[in-house]
Amino acid sequence: MAIVNLQDVTYKYPLTDSPALQNINLQVQEGEFVAVVGPNGAGKSTLCYTLAGFVPHFFKGELTGIVEILGKESHNSTLSEWVLNVGLAFQNPFNQISGAKYTVFEELAFGLENIGIPRDEMKTRVLDAMKLTGISDLAERSPYSLSGGQQQRVALTSILVMQPKVLVLDEPTSQMDPIGTREVFGVVRRMAERGMTVILVEHKVEWIAQFADRVIALKDGQIFLDGTPAEVLTSPLLQENGFGVSRYTSAARKAKAIGLWKKEELPVTLEEAVEGFSRANAGRVV
Amino acid sequence: MEKETRLFEPGLFYVQAATLFRRIASLIHTAAARRASLIIHAMHERLSFHIKRNSALHRLNPLTKLTLVLGLVLISFLSPWYWTPHALLLIVIIPLSFVGKVNREFFRAFLRLILPAASFLFFMQAFFQPVGGTVIFKIWFLDITKESLLFAFRNAMRIAVMVSSFTLFLLTTHPSELMSDLTRRGLPGQFAYVIISTLQILPQMQAKAQTIIAAQRSRGLDTQSSFLRRMGSLGPLVGPLVFGSLVEVEERAIAIEARGFTSTQIKTSLYEISDTSLDRTIRWILILLVIITLLLKLWLS
Amino acid sequence: MRETAMQRQKTGSWLNIGSNFNTMTWVLIPVAIAINIAIGQIVVLLKLPVFLDSIGTVLVAVICGPWAGALTGALSNTIWGLAIDPNALPWWPVAFFIGLVAGLCANAGLFKSWWKVVVTGFLVALTAATISTPIAVYLFGGITASGSSFITAYLLQTGQGVLQAVFSTSFLVEPVDKITTCMLAFAIVQGLSKRFLARFPRPENVEAEGGANQTQLYIAVGVVVLLVLFAAFVLRNVLGG
Repeated sequence: MAIVNLQDVTYKYPLTDSPALQNINLQVQEGEFVAVVGPNGAGKSTLCYTLAGFVPHFFKGELTGIVEILGKESHNSTLSEWVLNVGLAFQNPFNQISGAKYTVFEELAFGLENIGIPRDEMKTRVLDAMKLTGISDLAERSPYSLSGGQQQRVALTSILVMQPKVLVLDEPTSQMDPIGTREVFGVVRRMAERGMTVILVEHKVEWIAQFADRVIALKDGQIFLDGTPAEVLTSPLLQENGFGVSRYTSAARKAKAIGLWKKEELPVTLEEAVEGFSRANAGRVV
Repeated sequence: MEKETRLFEPGLFYVQAATLFRRIASLIHTAAARRASLIIHAMHERLSFHIKRNSALHRLNPLTKLTLVLGLVLISFLSPWYWTPHALLLIVIIPLSFVGKVNREFFRAFLRLILPAASFLFFMQAFFQPVGGTVIFKIWFLDITKESLLFAFRNAMRIAVMVSSFTLFLLTTHPSELMSDLTRRGLPGQFAYVIISTLQILPQMQAKAQTIIAAQRSRGLDTQSSFLRRMGSLGPLVGPLVFGSLVEVEERAIAIEARGFTSTQIKTSLYEISDTSLDRTIRWILILLVIITLLLKLWLS
Repeated sequence: MRETAMQRQKTGSWLNIGSNFNTMTWVLIPVAIAINIAIGQIVVLLKLPVFLDSIGTVLVAVICGPWAGALTGALSNTIWGLAIDPNALPWWPVAFFIGLVAGLCANAGLFKSWWKVVVTGFLVALTAATISTPIAVYLFGGITASGSSFITAYLLQTGQGVLQAVFSTSFLVEPVDKITTCMLAFAIVQGLSKRFLARFPRPENVEAEGGANQTQLYIAVGVVVLLVLFAAFVLRNVLGG
């Protein structure tokens, strides 16, 4: 049974005319790593909020269809119950700091205090989670004294410490510098490798191509493409519809049009492009 | 002397008072602004007014210390004996600052914050509160009576007791500790959240305000210019500050919801705050002292 | 679970303290307190003869509810008193009632256009004067650590009773400050998106009913100017008498 089950989900924010999500049908198996791509306004954030239960509980509005995680429907449970199963992290690391705690260790325990976890288990979970995400050395620092990448890792850890079954990440590296991006992707990858079900909204297609099991392209609130990274990210439909594609893909596409790219499949990552171009060039007579 | 001859003309009095007021207010305002930024700057540096030391006072339960503060304040305000606030300050509060090993910081706060506040109040009340009849001396158009001086002295001391006991409390108690303890005793978690969140946001807001003020200064903001221009510059200062702070509210609300803020489970606490029998004894003694003071006041009035 | 605004109002809303508070409220309050303190300090820096230290309180009161506003005011005052000027501490009930009254006025629909906001400001000023008078008299004997005490002192010299003198002083000083505060809070609310306001418990309090345009603003400013002139006139009369 799919761990995440969205059937015919349509959602309209309050005070708006057009729906943000239309007839979304999505099933995600346990342990899958699903990436979501799409232009601005496609509904990616709304999808994240729907998975995390904030639609409809926080945002109100009109939600139709079935939103089911682990067999439970979101409109049948409260938001505080729902967040036990689904963790949500988003772009701005600063706004994810609760403001209620003075050290990173306490910040990580904040969620556990709220849900009534006993003290000893709290400490164990926090220590384990910090080791997992590599922030053990930040334990006594103030969350506000950290860099963007560090703050985002703390935000991720504070969600992981709640031990959700599904992790929903809405562009976690958008506001990061390259080092921060690498740190955050490192954590996400580690979680995926451990079998966590991850749904990641991202623009950085090269990275998605390497690590995601599946890519979903969203446009105007509807699922446009749904398949493996190779299928989706090299599809010509992406560029036609205003999605950002990997520069290697667009370069190779142009090269293919004039006969310089000999392979059938287009590359998404640098490695694939290098490999493909050398093979192609190996056949030419200079 | 009769009232009519003392005041030459109502209009002239108003002008004289207004000039005096403007000058004093200006001094006080500048001092206040400087004081405020010092404290918030200190808060920013140490993240809170609290200083970590190992002392008997630090080891006391937060509620005990809070009871101590309230007890001192109530006793100084209720007690019928004139010299109560003075005695409390000298015999209780100042020695306690040594017990808490925070005497240096306490005296610095006393000089910077408490003394000016109490002195200003003393000045205002001594000179402008018409109490009693034994005129000691006259300044300009004002009668200073012995009763006014005594009255003002006691009131200023009461304020001094209130503020210095709170300062002592803040110096020896970490806000997280206080909130954890109060939450354990039944304070809703949301209140604790609000208080600590405010304490952390204040220095950030201060920094934001400084940036905006500096930016506006480079565009010609002048704190010495005409009244109308100063009023006008209120907009460009307030606007960015307010709107810039409000945008964070929605995302932060989502973030804390994602961490179970609205969970109906009984909240647990990461740290255990001790509450010994010494704590309980101290609290009961304080309550008793307050009741005795109240009874004394009622009996003697 | 999907309660509408209408249903909320039917359940005897103004006594229902809990309805004022959702997560957005709890996150807004610290920001509002910080706004109170920051603007209060900017005003000191600009040496303006107003306080303007309740803008955050009124904002919370209007979009969340009277009790949320009251809490914001009380906490603001307490924290200001502990961190900046201890002479402000005893006045927390005043701030409490400023929030409460502003919220009640907003619930009654008095925060939807400029002139209604002025009325709210006036009512808030009246409340502030009423609540602060007994505190000033019984705790400080009438003279407080505020510049307006000069006026009180003069009135006392002319033989007025203490309560009367203190109230008159407040009544002259408060309206300008509180009306300006409410107008600024209204301006802020007009600048926020409807989507954002919808997240708070009482967004309907600030649905501008077409009165939030320029002409109305000029009328409101005119009323304030008239009030200032009136206060000056009264003061001159009292002094002259």
